[in-house]
Amino acid sequence: MTEYLLLSAAIFAIGAYGVIARRNLLIVLMSLELMLNGVNIALVAFSRGRVDADPTGQVFVLMVMAVAAAEVAVGLAIVIALFRTRRTLDTNDLHQLNG
Amino acid sequence: MYSAVWLLICFLSFAGVYLSLSAPFLAAIHVLVYTGAILVLFVFVIMLLNLRDEELGEEYPAGTRFLAAGGCTALFTLIAVPIYEAHLPGMPPLPEDGHFGSIESVGNLLFTVYGLPFELVSVLIIVAMFGALVLAKKKLWGPA
Repeated sequence: MTEYLLLSAAIFAIGAYGVIARRNLLIVLMSLELMLNGVNIALVAFSRGRVDADPTGQVFVLMVMAVAAAEVAVGLAIVIALFRTRRTLDTNDLHQLNG
Repeated sequence: MYSAVWLLICFLSFAGVYLSLSAPFLAAIHVLVYTGAILVLFVFVIMLLNLRDEELGEEYPAGTRFLAAGGCTALFTLIAVPIYEAHLPGMPPLPEDGHFGSIESVGNLLFTVYGLPFELVSVLIIVAMFGALVLAKKKLWGPA
Protein backbone atom coordinates (compact mmCIF):
# COMPACT_ATOMS: atom_id res chain seq x y z
CA MET A 1 0.00 0.00 0.00
CA THR A 2 2.71 2.46 1.04
CA GLU A 3 4.72 1.80 -2.11
CA TYR A 4 1.79 2.48 -4.39
CA LEU A 5 0.91 5.72 -2.60
CA LEU A 6 4.55 6.85 -2.78
CA LEU A 7 4.60 6.06 -6.51
CA SER A 8 1.42 8.07 -6.90
CA ALA A 9 2.85 11.03 -4.99
CA ALA A 10 6.07 10.90 -7.01
CA ILE A 11 4.21 10.89 -10.32
CA PHE A 12 2.01 13.75 -9.14
CA ALA A 13 5.08 15.78 -8.13
CA ILE A 14 6.82 15.09 -11.46
CA GLY A 15 3.70 16.19 -13.30
CA ALA A 16 3.50 19.34 -11.17
CA TYR A 17 7.12 20.11 -12.04
CA GLY A 18 6.32 19.74 -15.72
CA VAL A 19 3.33 22.06 -15.44
CA ILE A 20 5.27 24.72 -13.53
CA ALA A 21 8.72 24.64 -15.11
CA ARG A 22 8.05 24.03 -18.79
CA ARG A 23 6.88 26.67 -21.24
CA ASN A 24 5.87 24.48 -24.15
CA LEU A 25 2.09 24.22 -24.03
CA LEU A 26 2.08 20.63 -25.34
CA ILE A 27 4.46 19.49 -22.60
CA VAL A 28 2.28 21.26 -20.01
CA LEU A 29 -0.74 19.27 -21.22
CA MET A 30 1.24 16.01 -21.10
CA SER A 31 2.32 16.78 -17.53
CA LEU A 32 -1.31 17.41 -16.61
CA GLU A 33 -2.12 13.91 -17.84
CA LEU A 34 0.72 12.62 -15.66
CA MET A 35 -0.76 14.34 -12.59
CA LEU A 36 -4.19 12.83 -13.27
CA ASN A 37 -2.58 9.41 -13.60
CA GLY A 38 -0.83 9.80 -10.28
CA VAL A 39 -4.15 10.42 -8.58
CA ASN A 40 -5.67 7.46 -10.43
CA ILE A 41 -3.01 5.11 -9.05
CA ALA A 42 -3.79 6.30 -5.51
CA LEU A 43 -7.52 5.69 -6.07
CA VAL A 44 -6.96 2.16 -7.39
CA ALA A 45 -4.57 1.38 -4.53
CA PHE A 46 -7.12 2.51 -1.93
CA SER A 47 -9.82 0.51 -3.70
CA ARG A 48 -7.61 -2.59 -3.54
CA GLY A 49 -6.74 -1.90 0.10
CA ARG A 50 -10.32 -2.12 1.32
CA VAL A 51 -11.10 -5.20 3.37
CA ASP A 52 -14.60 -5.60 1.92
CA ALA A 53 -13.29 -5.76 -1.69
CA ASP A 54 -15.41 -2.87 -2.94
CA PRO A 55 -14.31 -1.69 -6.42
CA THR A 56 -15.89 1.76 -6.05
CA GLY A 57 -12.48 3.41 -6.44
CA GLN A 58 -12.15 1.87 -9.88
CA VAL A 59 -15.44 3.46 -10.91
CA PHE A 60 -14.04 6.82 -9.83
CA VAL A 61 -10.94 6.20 -11.92
CA LEU A 62 -13.14 5.56 -14.95
CA MET A 63 -14.80 8.94 -14.38
CA VAL A 64 -11.39 10.62 -14.06
CA MET A 65 -10.30 9.02 -17.32
CA ALA A 66 -13.39 10.35 -19.09
CA VAL A 67 -12.72 13.84 -17.76
CA ALA A 68 -9.06 13.56 -18.79
CA ALA A 69 -10.04 12.54 -22.30
CA ALA A 70 -12.45 15.48 -22.59
CA GLU A 71 -9.84 17.84 -21.15
CA VAL A 72 -7.15 16.76 -23.58
CA ALA A 73 -9.50 17.07 -26.56
CA VAL A 74 -10.45 20.63 -25.66
CA GLY A 75 -6.87 21.50 -24.65
CA LEU A 76 -5.38 20.32 -27.93
CA ALA A 77 -8.09 22.17 -29.85
CA ILE A 78 -7.08 25.34 -27.98
CA VAL A 79 -3.43 24.60 -28.80
CA ILE A 80 -4.25 24.32 -32.50
CA ALA A 81 -6.33 27.51 -32.47
CA LEU A 82 -3.61 29.39 -30.58
CA PHE A 83 -0.85 28.22 -32.86
CA ARG A 84 -2.88 29.18 -35.91
CA THR A 85 -3.32 32.77 -34.73
CA ARG A 86 -0.12 33.42 -32.76
CA ARG A 87 2.46 31.03 -34.31
CA THR A 88 3.83 30.19 -30.85
CA LEU A 89 3.31 27.66 -28.08
CA ASP A 90 5.33 29.51 -25.46
CA THR A 91 3.18 30.08 -22.37
CA ASN A 92 5.01 33.35 -21.60
CA ASP A 93 4.14 34.79 -25.00
CA LEU A 94 0.47 34.08 -24.44
CA HIS A 95 -0.32 36.87 -22.02
CA GLN A 96 -3.15 38.64 -23.80
CA LEU A 97 -5.54 37.78 -20.99
CA ASN A 98 -3.23 39.18 -18.33
CA GLY A 99 -5.11 42.47 -18.27
CA MET B 1 9.03 14.83 -29.97
CA TYR B 2 10.61 12.21 -27.78
CA SER B 3 8.41 13.17 -24.84
CA ALA B 4 5.38 11.58 -26.53
CA VAL B 5 7.24 8.27 -26.79
CA TRP B 6 8.27 8.44 -23.13
CA LEU B 7 4.69 9.27 -22.21
CA LEU B 8 3.63 6.12 -24.08
CA ILE B 9 6.07 4.03 -22.03
CA CYS B 10 4.79 5.73 -18.87
CA PHE B 11 1.17 4.96 -19.70
CA LEU B 12 1.95 1.33 -20.50
CA SER B 13 3.71 0.92 -17.15
CA PHE B 14 0.71 2.50 -15.40
CA ALA B 15 -1.39 -0.23 -16.98
CA GLY B 16 1.06 -2.70 -15.44
CA VAL B 17 0.57 -1.06 -12.04
CA TYR B 18 -3.20 -1.42 -12.42
CA LEU B 19 -2.76 -5.09 -13.27
CA SER B 20 -0.64 -5.60 -10.15
CA LEU B 21 -3.43 -3.95 -8.14
CA SER B 22 -5.82 -6.58 -9.56
CA ALA B 23 -7.78 -4.18 -11.72
CA PRO B 24 -7.59 -5.88 -15.13
CA PHE B 25 -10.63 -4.08 -16.57
CA LEU B 26 -9.15 -0.72 -15.62
CA ALA B 27 -5.79 -1.66 -17.14
CA ALA B 28 -7.47 -2.51 -20.44
CA ILE B 29 -9.50 0.72 -20.43
CA HIS B 30 -6.36 2.66 -19.52
CA VAL B 31 -4.46 1.28 -22.50
CA LEU B 32 -7.43 1.94 -24.78
CA VAL B 33 -8.11 5.49 -23.62
CA TYR B 34 -4.62 6.79 -22.95
CA THR B 35 -2.43 5.12 -25.54
CA GLY B 36 -5.25 4.58 -28.00
CA ALA B 37 -6.90 7.98 -27.87
CA ILE B 38 -5.02 10.62 -25.90
CA LEU B 39 -1.52 9.81 -27.06
CA VAL B 40 -2.62 9.42 -30.67
CA LEU B 41 -4.23 12.85 -30.36
CA PHE B 42 -0.97 14.28 -29.01
CA VAL B 43 1.11 12.75 -31.79
CA PHE B 44 -1.44 13.92 -34.34
CA VAL B 45 -1.26 17.51 -33.07
CA ILE B 46 2.55 17.40 -32.97
CA MET B 47 2.62 16.28 -36.59
CA LEU B 48 -0.08 18.76 -37.59
CA LEU B 49 1.70 21.76 -36.08
CA ASN B 50 5.09 20.59 -37.38
CA LEU B 51 6.92 22.89 -34.98
CA ARG B 52 10.29 24.35 -35.76
CA ASP B 53 12.78 24.99 -32.99
CA GLU B 54 12.39 28.76 -33.02
CA GLU B 55 8.61 28.45 -32.62
CA LEU B 56 9.04 26.48 -29.42
CA GLY B 57 10.45 29.49 -27.58
CA GLU B 58 12.96 29.55 -24.78
CA GLU B 59 12.63 27.39 -21.72
CA TYR B 60 12.99 29.01 -18.31
CA PRO B 61 16.56 29.64 -17.11
CA ALA B 62 18.17 26.92 -15.01
CA GLY B 63 17.70 28.86 -11.76
CA THR B 64 13.93 29.08 -12.16
CA ARG B 65 13.75 25.41 -13.05
CA PHE B 66 15.80 24.44 -10.00
CA LEU B 67 13.43 26.50 -7.89
CA ALA B 68 10.43 24.70 -9.40
CA ALA B 69 12.14 21.33 -8.89
CA GLY B 70 12.78 22.23 -5.25
CA GLY B 71 9.16 23.21 -4.79
CA CYS B 72 7.94 19.95 -6.31
CA THR B 73 10.36 17.93 -4.18
CA ALA B 74 8.93 19.74 -1.15
CA LEU B 75 5.44 18.86 -2.37
CA PHE B 76 6.46 15.21 -2.70
CA THR B 77 7.95 15.17 0.81
CA LEU B 78 4.84 16.85 2.15
CA ILE B 79 2.73 13.99 0.76
CA ALA B 80 5.21 11.18 1.38
CA VAL B 81 6.04 11.80 5.04
CA PRO B 82 2.45 11.29 6.32
CA ILE B 83 2.16 8.19 4.14
CA TYR B 84 5.31 6.78 5.77
CA GLU B 85 4.19 7.71 9.26
CA ALA B 86 0.71 6.26 8.83
CA HIS B 87 2.13 2.68 8.79
CA LEU B 88 -0.57 1.54 6.42
CA PRO B 89 -1.49 -2.13 6.55
CA GLY B 90 -0.61 -4.41 3.66
CA MET B 91 -3.11 -5.41 1.03
CA PRO B 92 -5.97 -7.54 2.38
CA PRO B 93 -6.49 -10.92 0.73
CA LEU B 94 -8.75 -10.94 -2.30
CA PRO B 95 -12.15 -12.63 -2.05
CA GLU B 96 -12.20 -16.20 -3.29
CA ASP B 97 -14.58 -15.71 -6.23
CA GLY B 98 -11.95 -13.73 -8.18
CA HIS B 99 -14.46 -11.10 -9.30
CA PHE B 100 -12.64 -8.13 -7.82
CA GLY B 101 -11.85 -5.60 -10.53
CA SER B 102 -13.49 -7.62 -13.27
CA ILE B 103 -15.78 -6.08 -15.88
CA GLU B 104 -18.70 -7.61 -14.02
CA SER B 105 -18.04 -6.03 -10.64
CA VAL B 106 -17.08 -2.59 -11.98
CA GLY B 107 -19.94 -2.57 -14.47
CA ASN B 108 -22.43 -3.54 -11.79
CA LEU B 109 -21.47 -0.52 -9.73
CA LEU B 110 -21.34 1.71 -12.78
CA PHE B 111 -24.88 0.93 -13.86
CA THR B 112 -26.54 0.79 -10.44
CA VAL B 113 -25.04 3.00 -7.75
CA TYR B 114 -23.21 5.38 -10.10
CA GLY B 115 -25.74 5.40 -12.91
CA LEU B 116 -26.33 9.15 -12.90
CA PRO B 117 -22.63 10.17 -12.99
CA PHE B 118 -22.11 7.61 -15.73
CA GLU B 119 -24.82 9.23 -17.85
CA LEU B 120 -23.52 12.72 -17.07
CA VAL B 121 -20.11 11.69 -18.41
CA SER B 122 -21.74 11.27 -21.82
CA VAL B 123 -23.02 14.86 -21.61
CA LEU B 124 -19.49 16.01 -20.73
CA ILE B 125 -17.99 14.15 -23.66
CA ILE B 126 -20.58 15.55 -26.09
CA VAL B 127 -19.86 19.08 -24.85
CA ALA B 128 -16.10 18.50 -25.11
CA MET B 129 -16.51 17.13 -28.63
CA PHE B 130 -18.48 20.14 -29.84
CA GLY B 131 -16.12 22.49 -27.99
CA ALA B 132 -13.08 20.94 -29.64
CA LEU B 133 -14.74 21.13 -33.06
CA VAL B 134 -15.69 24.79 -32.62
CA LEU B 135 -12.27 25.75 -31.27
CA ALA B 136 -10.24 23.99 -33.93
CA LYS B 137 -12.39 25.09 -36.85
CA LYS B 138 -10.73 27.68 -39.03
CA LYS B 139 -13.62 30.04 -39.54
CA LEU B 140 -16.90 29.78 -37.71
CA TRP B 141 -18.95 32.27 -39.67
CA GLY B 142 -18.82 33.52 -43.20
CA PRO B 143 -17.23 31.84 -46.20
CA ALA B 144 -14.37 29.52 -45.35
